[in-house]
Formats: sequence, structure tokens, C-alpha cells
Amino acid sequence: MKLLYKLILVLVGGVCINANAQMPHDAIYMNKNSICIAATYSNSQWKEYWENNLKRENFNIGTHTTQSVMPMIAYGITKRLNLLAGVPYVWTKTSAGNLMGQKGIQDLSLFVKYNMVQSESGLSLHGVIGGSVPLTNYVKDFLPMSIGIGSKTLTTRLIAHYKHSSGFYITAHGSYFFRSNIKVDRDAYQADDRVYNTNEVRIPNATDVAARAGYYKKGIQAELFIDKNTCVGGDYIRRNDMPFPTNNMKSTGVGFYGKFQPKNIGFTIMARKVIDGENMGMSTTLSAGFLYQINFKTKSAEAAKN
Amino acid sequence: MKKKHLSLILLAAFSLVVSSCNKDLEEPLREAYIPAKLDEKGGTWKTYILASSDEVAVAEPKAAGSTEYQAELAKLKTTISTITPENKKAVAYWGAGAVYRWNEIARELAARYNLPPASNAEGKYPVPDAANPLADPKFPFANPPYVSRAIAYLSVAQYDALVAAWNYKYKYNRKAPSKNDATVSTLLPVSDLPSYPSEDAVVAAASYTILAAMFPGEVPLLDAKLAEAKNARIWGGMNVDSDISAGDALGKAVAAKVMGRARTDGMSGANNQTVNAAAIANAKAQGLKSEWLSQEMPARPPMLPNYGTVMPWNFDKATMIAMRPGPPPGLDSDGFKTALDELKKIDKGQTREQARIANYWSDGAGSYTPPGHWHRTAANLCFQNKLSELATARVQALLGTSQMDAAIACWDTKNYYYYPRPQQFGLKTSVGLPNFQSYTSGHSTFSGAAAHVLGSIFPAEAEKMTALAQEASNSRVYGLIHFRFDCTAGLEHGKKIGQAAIARGKADGSGL
Repeated sequence: MKLLYKLILVLVGGVCINANAQMPHDAIYMNKNSICIAATYSNSQWKEYWENNLKRENFNIGTHTTQSVMPMIAYGITKRLNLLAGVPYVWTKTSAGNLMGQKGIQDLSLFVKYNMVQSESGLSLHGVIGGSVPLTNYVKDFLPMSIGIGSKTLTTRLIAHYKHSSGFYITAHGSYFFRSNIKVDRDAYQADDRVYNTNEVRIPNATDVAARAGYYKKGIQAELFIDKNTCVGGDYIRRNDMPFPTNNMKSTGVGFYGKFQPKNIGFTIMARKVIDGENMGMSTTLSAGFLYQINFKTKSAEAAKN
Repeated sequence: MKKKHLSLILLAAFSLVVSSCNKDLEEPLREAYIPAKLDEKGGTWKTYILASSDEVAVAEPKAAGSTEYQAELAKLKTTISTITPENKKAVAYWGAGAVYRWNEIARELAARYNLPPASNAEGKYPVPDAANPLADPKFPFANPPYVSRAIAYLSVAQYDALVAAWNYKYKYNRKAPSKNDATVSTLLPVSDLPSYPSEDAVVAAASYTILAAMFPGEVPLLDAKLAEAKNARIWGGMNVDSDISAGDALGKAVAAKVMGRARTDGMSGANNQTVNAAAIANAKAQGLKSEWLSQEMPARPPMLPNYGTVMPWNFDKATMIAMRPGPPPGLDSDGFKTALDELKKIDKGQTREQARIANYWSDGAGSYTPPGHWHRTAANLCFQNKLSELATARVQALLGTSQMDAAIACWDTKNYYYYPRPQQFGLKTSVGLPNFQSYTSGHSTFSGAAAHVLGSIFPAEAEKMTALAQEASNSRVYGLIHFRFDCTAGLEHGKKIGQAAIARGKADGSGL
């Protein structure tokens, strides 16, 4: 009983990145005029990281933890056009050393997802356009403690999806992230093996690709995925130096995503483990979310079933 | 129909955002200027290392009417007629000023080499090896004392070499090529400063010699910079070959003499770790309850614990000991408690403005360090005030010697009191913790000295410099790595060190 109570607390209090029925990288849509609100708690930890391509530990960091709680909202403009928005509150800490943890409201993200092609065979194509903008003036270059790097981003994504009538599906997507320059507190910094005499820092653009396979029917979803995030250019952490927002951060991860949403209320869980990377932590992320769907027009509520 | 509209709108919004996404970084442009004053009597200014401005001989140049000089002019014109856009870019870059650019290069190398060695599998920190500078860990670890010294020698060599150059310039009075021959086209403004020996070549060669010694892994880069700096004067129509070669020889010869001091100033013993035990015993004998301990894992030996014995520039060792700040509050005193409480309050609720100030002045690993920060400020002040190369070098030498003196006197103080850091009392930091004792603050000492030197030379900026130094000093409290009394004492100590540099400056015959 006590355990159940704790579990509920964790799920409700927490959250993480994807809720409902849908996320900016899947092929699931809300019905017209339905709204889903969600909250996800995420916990991401690493003990080893890649300094450039050298995998190492740092006894003055120990285990680095980033946690976040992200409220999200998704809205069905039409059955084929959905809007998603979220704002995480993020906090960081280390288990060793004396680097001060950072915390705060991070970036507002907003995505529009559009079902461009839907064939009878179960094959569909989707386009996503979105972006993010920092909501607070958090410190951007105190890595790895900063809660974000403060860039404004614009994302374009193409998703290809095939779903068999049995409920099994495969999804693949590719995205490109345009990322704006940022301003830091200092007016000179070292990057690209030189000193820049300005407070403006060039942030490399980024891409991600992912493949997913799973089952989704009657409110149950289970999925395995592999993804790869890569910066387009950027520099490399120097020997025994700290990371910097200009770094060419790369990671390849594998994971599991599951959702249970028998009715209006649902739960999600996600686990992702980084298996390869450069200039970043070899992190394991766990997240759990809670979601609640409101269908204003019962006429089109059918979609909730699927 | 509706869908089409939507697609169009999205496409339009998308193209707008992408096209407005300009990633170019704006850095300050530096255009060449005619100096406000030529400092014609500069050849008589007091040098640091040279006994006199003619200690290194420079041969008399060929006369303007000589066939040799006319041949040089002809060759110059041929070269100018064939220069490329890249050559022009190099001319504009070096046109900002030789001292300005070489100081900037020194700061760049400082940042590049300012990385503490990583611990090895045995939990030890290998010491960088000057004979093998590019191995891991790279040599040098360009920490603040190292950088203060590297730029001090750089600036002193530039200054002494320019005093010598000014002596010969006005002794021989060879006019600039374009003033001897109106058909020589130039890419930079031409002053009435005599062109033999070339001040740019003097500075380039002197700087090259010092920086190659201080950053031995960067010789290929320095070779390229030296060649470009000298060629740029030809491409720009500013000097003939003999101006350059005479300047090059003079700069190298003067810098070699300056390196003579560097080799015997005690730096080779600065990392003598055997002095710690006696220093701790001495501090404890004076009542210190618990000494500084490295907070790194594994524990890292303190940074250059014997740096306080390096030879200072503007005062002798007895004076330095007499100037040493008095003892910090005992660890069980009210003064200590008050200072710790201030830090605890910041630890609980550091404001964004406090974080900004701490970050702005952090100047930690990977940066050009506080001395580099102040040399940059000085370079910009000299540029804005259109100082001659010689007067610029004088400012940098006065500042550079004050910064090295500040490092020496501060490290002497740190190792004398061996005072613990706030992190030994449970505090975190938002800027990274330096691996040496707390009392007094190095940032404050460097900044107190720099603000006094720059404020004295540029009185209109004095108030601003004092405010900057105060902010730099505060930044260490805001970043939680120093007690308030570390900073107050450091700032006052720094001011006295700056006064010693300025006393020398007032007596150097420049009248400035």
C-alpha cells in the first residue's frame, strides 16, 4: 500500500518528455479539439563521459544527474494536424566534487505535427515543424551543470510510419535542428582552438535519426528504439578540459518506451541508454509520465480508442 | 485548399527563420591609425634589461639615394604589384599594431595551454615536460602565475627592443619608403616615424623569441606568425627589406638578453613541492587551526607553491616581505564566521547577477587567466588612445611586471598563511575551485595592481578601472571560492604592487 502510494506520488509529481498519446516524433494524433495534458519526470545519470572520444570517469564529478519535470500539452487542431507544447523545469547535481548544481525553468518547445500522407496500406508520412526558446536567462556555459545551452532552435522532422492491422508498427524519422548563437556572461572564450573576443558563441546545428518498432493497440503501446543525435560541426573537448556549448556532441542510444492508456488517463515509461558518443555523458535516462486526455467533442472521440 | 494554405504558411515561416539565422560572430574590428604622438625621445627611455639603448648595435642603413636603397624600393614596388587578397588581409590584421597583436597571440596561447594535467592510473598528476611539450600533459600548464610571467617577459622584451629601435630610428632618420618615393603605394596610414629599423619587425622578432621559449610546442605557429608579421610590412608598402632585417636582428638580440633574466629568475624552482611541509608547520606555529587541503580527487599538489621566491621586477624581496598582508582571521574568530556566513547566504540563493559577475571574471582553466584579462584591457586602452608602438609596449611592460609581481607576492602570501578554502567548510562553487590556498585572493591582487597601473596611465579611466577591479574581486566571493577578507586584503596588496610599477614608470624618462 505504502509502495503504491509512493508510486503514485512519483508518477503524478514527476514526468518527462512525452506524454500522451503523442510525441513530436511518433505517428499518433489527437482527435480534433481534444486536449491531452501530461507531466513527465526524467532522471538522467552518467558516471562516464566522452572527453572528445576518450571514455573516462571524473572523480571530481562522480555521478552526474540531471532531473526534469515537464508539463506538456497536446491539442488536436484536426485529426491530421496536432500542436504540442512543453516547458521543463530542470535541475542538476553531482555526487562528488564541489560544482554547484543549477536549476530552473528551461526552454519552451512548440511543435506542429501534420499527417501529410496516409495510405490504406498502413503507410503514412508526417512532417513536424517546431522550435524552442529559452524562457529564463540561465547560465549557459557552466557545463556540465548548466540546465541547457540557451540556444533558440527550429526543428524540421520527417516521419515515415507503417502500421499493420495487428497493431505492430515500425517508424523511422530524421530531423534537422537549426540552433541560434547564444550570449554568455564572459566576453572572451576559447573554442575551435582559438580565443574569441566576444560574448557571442556559435552553436552548431544538429540532426537526429531514429528507428522504432513496436506494438500499439487498445491503449497499450510498447516500443524499442535506437536513435542517434549528432551536431553538425562544432569543436571537441580538450584533454582534461570542461565541456563547452560549441562542442560537437554526439550520442547513440537504445531504449524502450511503453504507454498504458485504457481511457482518458494514461501512464508512460521510457528508458534510454547511451551506448556510444563523443563530448558528452554516457547517460542512462529513465522517465515516467502521467497523462490525461480531454475530448471536448464526443463525436470525434473515436480516435481516442486508437 | 485549406491544406495548401497551411503548407504555404509553414513554408514561408520556415524560410524566414532559416534566412534570418546568421551565425557569424562579431568581433571588434581594429583599423590602423597614425599614433597621436611619435615619442621622438623614446630612445632615451629607461630600459628594464638593456644597460642602454645602444647596447645592441644596429648598423647604419644605406642612404636614400644609394643604389642599394633604390633597388630595395624597386623590389618593394614589384612585390606590392603582385599581392593577393590574403596578403591584404594580413596587412590589415597586423595594422592594428605589432604589440597589440603579439599580446593577443600570447593570450591565445595562454588559453590554449591553461589546462591542469589529468590524474593518471596511479592517482598521480604527471608534471608537464618542457622537453616534450605536446605530450600529455602539455607543457606548459599556463596557470595565472605562469601567464603573468610569460606576458611580463614578452612585454619587457618588446619595450626594451623598441626603446633600442627608437634610438636608432632617430639616429639614422631613414624615412618611410613612401616618403622617399611617392610612387610606393601603401595600404596603411604612414606617420613621420623613421622606418629603420622596422618597429614591427623588432616587436615580431622579440615576441617570437619569448613566446617560443614560453610555449615551446607552438614554434610552427610562431614561425608562421613571425613570417607573416614581417611580410605584411612589405605587402603594405610600409618597409623595405633592410628595415625588416635590421628590426628582426635587433628584436631577437634584445629578447635573448631578456631571456637571460628569465632563465635565472627562480622559476625553475617554483614547483618545488618539498616546501609545503615547512610552510604548513610555520602557519600552524602562528595559530592556524587547519591548513589548506586540495579538494580535488585524487588530491592535487598545490599550484607552484614556491612561486613566491621568483625574482620580482619593481621591488626587492625584503620590500615584498614588508608589504605582505597581515594575518587572516583565525578560524574560530567572529571575523571568520561573518565571512563564512556571507558565503553560505550566497550558496543558498546566488542571484543571477552574482553568477554573471562570477562568470565574467572567472578566468579559470581554458582562459587566458586574470593577467591575460588585464593585458587585453590595456591593449584596448592603448589602441583607443592611439599610442605609438613604443608607448603601448611601455604600458604593457608596466602592467606585465606588476602582474608578475602580483603573482609572486600573492603566492608568497598564500604559502605563508596556508589558509583553507571555503570548500573545506561545505560550500560549492559556480566557477571551479583553484587548487591552492585561499588567503589572499589572486584575482584581487592582480586586479588591484592592474587597476592602479592603468588608472595612473589613463587618468580618465581611473574610476572605471577601480570599479572593474572591485568587481573582479567581488566575483570570487560571488563564485564562493574566496572569503571576503581574502579579497579585501588582495585588492589592497595589489594596489601597493601597482604603485611600485608606476613609481618606476614615473622615473623612466618618458614623462608619461
